[in-house]
Amino acid sequence: MEPRFAGMTFFATSHAGDVCGTNGLPLTPNSITIYGRSQILRTFSHPNLCTYLDIIRGKHERTMIVSEFHAQTLALLQEPLPLLGIVKLCHQTLTALSYINSHDIVHRCLAPDNIMINAKGNVKLFNYGLYYMTGKGSDVSFPIGNPRYMAPEVFLVDSQIASGPKVDVWSLGIILTEQALGVEQLWPELKLAQLMRKVLSLINCNSDTSVFSRIAREHSCWSKYESLPQSLVHLINSCLQLNPLDRPTPKELLEFPIFKEYSFDEYSLAERPDTLVETTHHLNSLPLQELYYLWRLAGGDVQSELKKQGLIRTMPPILSVPRLVLLEGSVLGKRRDQTSLLDLKIIPLSLESLRNRLAPVPVSAYYPLITTKSDVLNDAEECDAADLPLIIRERDTEYQFRRVVLFRRLLEGYPHTKSAIVREARKDIPPLYRGRVWAALLEVEGDIEAHYRETDKETPTHTDRQIEVDIPRCHQYDELLSSRDGHRKFKRVLKAWVERNPQYVYWQGLDSLCAPFIYLNFNNEAMAFACLSAFIPKYLHRFFLKDNSAVIREYLAKFTHVIAFHDPDLSNHLQEIGFIPELFAIPWFLTMFSHVFPLPKILHLWDQLLLGDASFPLYVGLAILQQHRDTLLSSGFNECILLFSDLPEVDIERCLSDSVAFYCCTPRSTTFRQHERCPSKAGLKNKPCHPDLEMSAQTVAELQAESCPRISGADLLDLLDSSKFPRPKVMVIDIRSPELYNVGSAPGSINIPHSRFDLTQEIPQLPSCPEVNILLQNRGKILVVAGQGDSPCAIQIAQIFLRNGLPKVCVLHRGIDVLQLANLLTKPTAI
Amino acid sequence: MANRGGAAQRPNSQTQGKICQFKLVLLGESAVGKSSLVLRFVKGQFHEYQESTIGAAFLTQTVCLEDTTVKFEIWDTAGQERYHSLAPMYYRGAQAAIIVYDITNMDSFGRAKVWVKELQRQASPNIVIALAGNKADLANSRAVECDEAQAYADENGLLFMETSAKTAKNVNEIFLAIAKKLPKNEQVSGAGSANQGRRLVESDSSAKTAGNCCK
Repeated sequence: MEPRFAGMTFFATSHAGDVCGTNGLPLTPNSITIYGRSQILRTFSHPNLCTYLDIIRGKHERTMIVSEFHAQTLALLQEPLPLLGIVKLCHQTLTALSYINSHDIVHRCLAPDNIMINAKGNVKLFNYGLYYMTGKGSDVSFPIGNPRYMAPEVFLVDSQIASGPKVDVWSLGIILTEQALGVEQLWPELKLAQLMRKVLSLINCNSDTSVFSRIAREHSCWSKYESLPQSLVHLINSCLQLNPLDRPTPKELLEFPIFKEYSFDEYSLAERPDTLVETTHHLNSLPLQELYYLWRLAGGDVQSELKKQGLIRTMPPILSVPRLVLLEGSVLGKRRDQTSLLDLKIIPLSLESLRNRLAPVPVSAYYPLITTKSDVLNDAEECDAADLPLIIRERDTEYQFRRVVLFRRLLEGYPHTKSAIVREARKDIPPLYRGRVWAALLEVEGDIEAHYRETDKETPTHTDRQIEVDIPRCHQYDELLSSRDGHRKFKRVLKAWVERNPQYVYWQGLDSLCAPFIYLNFNNEAMAFACLSAFIPKYLHRFFLKDNSAVIREYLAKFTHVIAFHDPDLSNHLQEIGFIPELFAIPWFLTMFSHVFPLPKILHLWDQLLLGDASFPLYVGLAILQQHRDTLLSSGFNECILLFSDLPEVDIERCLSDSVAFYCCTPRSTTFRQHERCPSKAGLKNKPCHPDLEMSAQTVAELQAESCPRISGADLLDLLDSSKFPRPKVMVIDIRSPELYNVGSAPGSINIPHSRFDLTQEIPQLPSCPEVNILLQNRGKILVVAGQGDSPCAIQIAQIFLRNGLPKVCVLHRGIDVLQLANLLTKPTAI
Repeated sequence: MANRGGAAQRPNSQTQGKICQFKLVLLGESAVGKSSLVLRFVKGQFHEYQESTIGAAFLTQTVCLEDTTVKFEIWDTAGQERYHSLAPMYYRGAQAAIIVYDITNMDSFGRAKVWVKELQRQASPNIVIALAGNKADLANSRAVECDEAQAYADENGLLFMETSAKTAKNVNEIFLAIAKKLPKNEQVSGAGSANQGRRLVESDSSAKTAGNCCK
């Protein structure tokens, strides 16, 4: 297989020593600025542009670029192009230029070796982002562009003044001149300084002698010049106008009659039939981004390839030791080889090892079948890696190949494939498509671009200062988020959110919440904004109210209940030492853990979080506590709070599988919150039931006073349904008097009248009676304490169970009476 | 990035004698360097990109005076104005407070004065308050004059120092100065360590009401 992409490298200017900005923070390294700025290039997709695939930062301000590559270039063509070829070359180059111009980008180093020609004989401009990504040359200390093709004004004006699109038009003019005159290179014998003088001397041309005709004369090509069609001469003359004001832009040039005069579509700039056969390899059916992603998984490493090819030379460290280091950090006497700052060499990256790695994959895997019902049909062919840990699956070439191909096709079908995306995402989400999959899981739809465009992100507001001091502290270890473009995007998305949600305010923490979305949608602010806007109502409804204390307190009270429900021992211990969630869990839940974990962990955590409902994060919190259970149980208050001041190591994959397990065995109503967004009616499965069977709001004080959660009548009825659960998962403890109990009670329930409990003791004991033994034997089932209505006794008795270490204790909301509504009370059978 | 200026000498060598525990709270506008001061004091580190604090963070550090070991239980609070309602939960029962402002930012000095007033009104009457003008390494962009802050501190009976978490200037010194000023006689010694934390929690319900009235 032919290489499809290539690497190149250069150095950014490094800041001298230990320089700080006015805010006291160190200056952003130029390579990071370049890194952030160049991301947008990766989104460019045009038939006549080589696609940018990656930008990588190396050591010492090195930047490496990976771009689509074609071995054939205009410089390598053996013969000068015929007229049709010249017109086609010119037309396709101009289309590409006007495309990048429309994104405010100028090529600035247009030359024959940067005009690649693909297998079909079309122009593919290369290296068009260098001038843009280096901040118009300001972040690097080498000049950009080839002097032979450089417009004279570039030499004349201050280098601070940025070049415009017309600079490229001059370069194109010179290239066309070479082709039209059949000269391989103009002024081949001139050295660099002479060359520049030569270009500048063209300024002496006047209205009588055009630049083109003068060059033709100088190169003794007058007869060739005379034979050229007028329209071509006119085109070249326009390109080589000395005064940029007289020179047309690429867009204007495209309107020239010459492009209507000749039909050049069929013409191929380079016939290379031998490569056409090879392009039928199925790998070539993959988008380049996927190909590059898999290439890296198969062991491809740009840096080591460049090293192998001699483009990155390592010097023995002893040679780069500085002579003098001053105390405040400045370094003297460290010499650096200026010539290595930019090497124009392009290193094609071989696809052979990837091809070998994927050789066993059957052709059918390239084209998974998805039916109209969006079922994935070739599930059976899952590869061996499917059962391995997530970290390994994410690095397995063949596995990722299958996931990437599948998800690309599913995403193309979104929203019709929604259910299949959810199902597949439960297995895992391929990192390459994570941003888009998340958007699908968050049901982001509609014209998000327009919505974002119409949102005011610029008008100064009083939250600006807070946003500005928070952004430079938010996940700054990440190159994207610490870049200048990253900061700008952060600010705009946050401002847009505050603007669009007047009922809410900016709370510190919103920045962390925004970070994963910016990171994944760096080139699509509108998408980052749409995802954030969908995420917050789903998981953090009302959390960003100006006065959110009721919302947060309710949430933390439910967290306490969740701990009590699943881990009574831990709950009792934490209660005893006063280690309450208010002291450690606010940043967890307010930011959905995005403030307490580094990005790679957040991504995996949210992969699962997004599949769960608003109660799921509570179980994540519980699972985190569980991982440090032993330490917590054996520690006092100070040790516990210190442990979580700086969140200790958490195994995310285990944490998530634990969370899912907790989630699955907990009745939903036990985590009912009045401040949760109302679940959509569709979620209730058309089962209208009596309002008394549903949960209802409790005050925060009530919630805090109760140690165990409440369960709704509807959930209990569901659990009592013997057709669903042949082996009962629940046991009702009826605390009413035996008289009432014997009239009618819940199926399978036991009766321990509340009078048997001594509620006055400080550490209440379980009474000794046969019923309590039955209760203890049923440890592990959901134990529902039910009294007469909302009896305070039920709450106290549930607490006694909890204090005695019984798990899964809850209280029936509104008491046993609600079961009467369902006619479920039966006469108890003797035990 | 971390550890600039070398590891600070930690002021906690072993001595015998009395052990006193004090609850100390840091207050001040966001991004003035509260967490950085604590991090420098407790771990001898400095992070250029210290993350913002949400809610509060808790750390402990011990310093030695002649015959006494003073253990600080430090509550480092969130600076954003909105988190204000949580603050009483942390400063209630505190024996010491450091109110931090940024010498390059006049507004943060104004905010510090508000905190001083609030503490004088709401906190324990004997609380030792220190005022820290942080980011002293950025004296080039100074906006708050040292004299002005000193005068304000004298007026209000506060300890005052200009500090720099980055260069470690006056960081240990300000904590030591507080330790010296704290009364050492009424303190429980040794095993009562859990009590401080529990006291914080028990006062939680009353903190709520206090939070509402000082919004």
